[in-house]
Amino acid sequence: MSHRLRVGDALALALMTVVLVVLVGPIILLTVFSFNDSTIIALPFEGFTLEWYRSALSDPGVRESLRNSILVAGIVAPSCVVLGTASAWGITRFRFRGRGFWAGLVGATLVVPWLVIGVSGLVFFVYLEVELSLVTVTAMHVAVTFPLVTALVSARLVRFERSQEEAAIDLGASQLQLMTKVVLPQLAPALAASLIFAFAWSFNNFEISFFTGGYEETFPVWVYGVLRRSYNLPVVNAIATLVSFVQVVAVYGLYLFVKWLAKRRGSNDELTSLVGGIR
Amino acid sequence: MSLAPDLVSRPPVARRGAGAGGRSKRLLPFAYLGIPMLILVVLFLVPMVILFLISVGLGIGYTDTVWSFDTYTALFRDPLYREVALTTIYIATAAMIAQLVVGVPLAYVMAFKAGRFELPLVLGLVVLDGLNPVVRIYAWRMLLGREGIINSFLEWVGIIDEPLDALLFNEAAVIVVLSTSWITYTVIPIYASMKAIDANLFQAAADLGAGWWTILRRILLPLAAPGIFVAVLLVYIPLFTDFATPTMVGGTSGYMLGQAVNDLVLARGDLASGAALSFVLLVASGLVAAVAYRLSRINRLQS
Repeated sequence: MSHRLRVGDALALALMTVVLVVLVGPIILLTVFSFNDSTIIALPFEGFTLEWYRSALSDPGVRESLRNSILVAGIVAPSCVVLGTASAWGITRFRFRGRGFWAGLVGATLVVPWLVIGVSGLVFFVYLEVELSLVTVTAMHVAVTFPLVTALVSARLVRFERSQEEAAIDLGASQLQLMTKVVLPQLAPALAASLIFAFAWSFNNFEISFFTGGYEETFPVWVYGVLRRSYNLPVVNAIATLVSFVQVVAVYGLYLFVKWLAKRRGSNDELTSLVGGIR
Repeated sequence: MSLAPDLVSRPPVARRGAGAGGRSKRLLPFAYLGIPMLILVVLFLVPMVILFLISVGLGIGYTDTVWSFDTYTALFRDPLYREVALTTIYIATAAMIAQLVVGVPLAYVMAFKAGRFELPLVLGLVVLDGLNPVVRIYAWRMLLGREGIINSFLEWVGIIDEPLDALLFNEAAVIVVLSTSWITYTVIPIYASMKAIDANLFQAAADLGAGWWTILRRILLPLAAPGIFVAVLLVYIPLFTDFATPTMVGGTSGYMLGQAVNDLVLARGDLASGAALSFVLLVASGLVAAVAYRLSRINRLQS
């Protein structure tokens, strides 16, 4: 028995190692070759340089696309937290005609492929003769991202202790007081997760930005465009490394924050908050 | 997983003493839902309707309105699209199976065996998914390309003289890259459903003489099935509509339907045909979603 267990453990360890290498390996190499003193991304390693970082940060395409992406995501994330939380509250706490339809509509946006949403946005704006720009990108991002927040927040809302809400209502709290004093404080971890994930969704989105952006490029669209026109570029390695680094720090920071919140309250659901953010 | 079916199936709380009732009470949900729903109707539902109308001949730009289903019949008659559809189904299915083959054991290891590695693994998968998908595709191309890292390494150490062309721009490359891109969405739902399994069941089954195959088939898989269905629902649809991955690593043999949509709409400017193909993909996604949802319900009744 113990022998079989050890075989099982060895297999588990082997699996974890292989998965780790296959998933993280390419990203590590991306980083390593951003410091390689050669225009060609190949072995052997030619020496250390920060040249690619310097040229990436002074490249107008990089600067503009990054600025565009941060601007769009900076508008999309907070709006989606508000819209998503409001609709989660509406759907989970009231019984009204058409509730199933609305809930289904919110769910549908999470299942319909982004390619189809992108193309539908494109033909919609072209039909209305609205010029494609960052505005149309932002509008489409809001429409597909707030349902994610709705899903995250409703998952939390249906598990709530409702006695506090009911007590507040029985004691005559207004809707505003109910929200600010009872509901939102309890939702804090889910809201923090929503903010970060909504930002990441918008920032990382390729298909919708690609079809509805016209000539205004977000960061993923810029990377895609550059790599379509030319082959592998160390400049892309450099900027991709910087962006990835910030993204890793953001998600890890979120994890620490949610853990800290949970510890302060003595509850232990930091993982569910994080995992709930998966599309 | 917090998906729509959950939102629908859970009954709302009965409101006690929520105001005096009447008109204001009936309108209260729409104080919360009004704007979000308006946004979904205007920017999600209406564009879908227009997408369909354009695919059946609604005039757009300088074209006149001529109602017909010609775009659809042309798509279904064209042997090229049939071939692309088959390639797409093959690539998406292979990538889905590859992810399940790796993902189910990985989820099992994470849920029951990983110990102190459990949290880092979950966090690692979440962090990985937070990275930009286009950047991740690029990282693979950098690795597999003709002058890429693997080829240059093999040449450098003298194993090969000529770079291997077989690494990139084919179906296999698309399958590998797609699998790694979506693995988080495959593993996490399965992991979540496995976390809900009482580990004593495995011990009990083993004590009663069940081998690992019986335990896998009779306990683990049936109990993890809802998570597996969610994973398929979340991953299979994006897999067969992807176009960034095949464009960047697929070459000609890995040409997929998503690229066909892109080429019709942006390269050829044929909005009607592009809309028709998009609509076909939408219906196909709906079918996948319906089947996955249906299967997960059947299983719930059995267990």
